Amino acid sequence: MTGNQNPISPHLQVYRWHISSLLSITHRISGIINLLALILIFSWLLVLSFDEGNYELFLLIINSFFGKFILIGFTWSMSFHILSGMRHLAWDLGYGFEIKTANISGIIVIISSLILTIILWVFGRGLL
Amino acid sequence: MNETRKWILHRISGVILVPLFVWLYFSFISLSTKNYSEAIYFFKNPLFEILTIVLFFVGFFHAKISLNEIFEDYIHNNKTKDVANILALTLSIIVPVTTLILLIYKI
Repeated sequence: MTGNQNPISPHLQVYRWHISSLLSITHRISGIINLLALILIFSWLLVLSFDEGNYELFLLIINSFFGKFILIGFTWSMSFHILSGMRHLAWDLGYGFEIKTANISGIIVIISSLILTIILWVFGRGLL
Repeated sequence: MNETRKWILHRISGVILVPLFVWLYFSFISLSTKNYSEAIYFFKNPLFEILTIVLFFVGFFHAKISLNEIFEDYIHNNKTKDVANILALTLSIIVPVTTLILLIYKI
């Protein structure tokens, strides 16, 4: 290879998995999913700007099993990315680099992302 | 834009997006149980309109910088990388601007 000789880092298939590497790649993937979610919400607004008939059809799709599955997945992806992002910000400020701390914060991120998803759905759908 | 500034703006935009995204998801999960006129009524509130527009601009700005990073790591052909970056830039302009137009003039 000529030209760019920068090391081609994130190797996903080479290293043994740790919670740190798993969360690192999940942060990236969830970020991309969030972009797709934002595009879905953009389509939501687009359909809303058409007329009532189209919107009712859109709601029917959103409220189908498949629609809810996607929406809950998007909610988790956002929750995870936000919490994992906060973990990254703590690192940027110089905190939490010890292996034990990083592992614990990783587990906290996973558990809290599930809790945040549940809270958003329970209160958002008016189930409580 | 130099890389340090990009890095800092990426963090700042991330912090701004935290409350906005929680609000957005809560709102849209609620809207999924509401009908057309209730949804229109929701966006008649100027505060919600402004929050949505800000979220789209800041969100796509954050996404554009992130995509540049990801392309840098995984695309090794410089030409392909340039094309991918241009597509990311185009998307990050078109979607927020269209959202702005939709919310101000159409909804």
